[in-house]
Amino acid sequence: MRPFRADGDAYTAKFSPEEASILSELAEQIAELVRTGGPDDPAIARLFPDAYPDDAEASAEFRRFTAEDLGDRKVRNAGIILGTLGAVAEGTRPKRVSLSADEAQAWLRGLGDIRLSLASRLGITEEGMPQDAPPGLAELYDWLSFVQDSLVRAVDR
Amino acid sequence: MPAVDERPRVIERTLLDSPWVTVVWNDPVNLMSYVSYVFRSYFGFTRQEAERLMLQVHNEGKAVVASGTREEMERHVEAMHDFGLWASLTKSDA
Repeated sequence: MRPFRADGDAYTAKFSPEEASILSELAEQIAELVRTGGPDDPAIARLFPDAYPDDAEASAEFRRFTAEDLGDRKVRNAGIILGTLGAVAEGTRPKRVSLSADEAQAWLRGLGDIRLSLASRLGITEEGMPQDAPPGLAELYDWLSFVQDSLVRAVDR
Repeated sequence: MPAVDERPRVIERTLLDSPWVTVVWNDPVNLMSYVSYVFRSYFGFTRQEAERLMLQVHNEGKAVVASGTREEMERHVEAMHDFGLWASLTKSDA
């Protein structure tokens, strides 16, 4: 992978087909999680946090008014990641991807949502990665952090 | 000029309610670079101020990033949730 960098008005990176497949799979999973996950799922609780920490009723009310739109936007962000990576995942060689400013915003949020959900599954806390985290997933999490950070730095000029 | 029937509500809120604040909480996932970028791009803070607030979130566990009416703070909190940040609103005297 070549990390993101600003290229005129666009943001470009290069992904291998394997990387694109993995990230596409995660984007599909986050969209499904947002569409079907219940409120008791810790990943859903983190993606749709209480707006009023000491007021369950006001938090529920807030959720009633915002969760549907917020969920639609999260699903759309995942869809934009899938759209960018489709051709790369289906190919045989690493390919350059190019994001518009709007697509970069969707990518930033989508990568964040994927990392938040993965962290919730892995049990990442202030202490960091748990010792017993599956090494493959821990590596994947670090890689996603690297990808997101490169895009933040490209966009934050 | 707003319709007359809208005014009393606005006046009541202005005089009787203390301001509300938007609080962003530390979490172990969001990157420091990202949080700083969100503060700068969404709230329009200078790079320096965004960095200071990001570090306050990181070091002290939370930071107040905006204050105003309850409606405004709800909009900010929803926007922060859209970015994936852990944010909530509360009365400023709470």
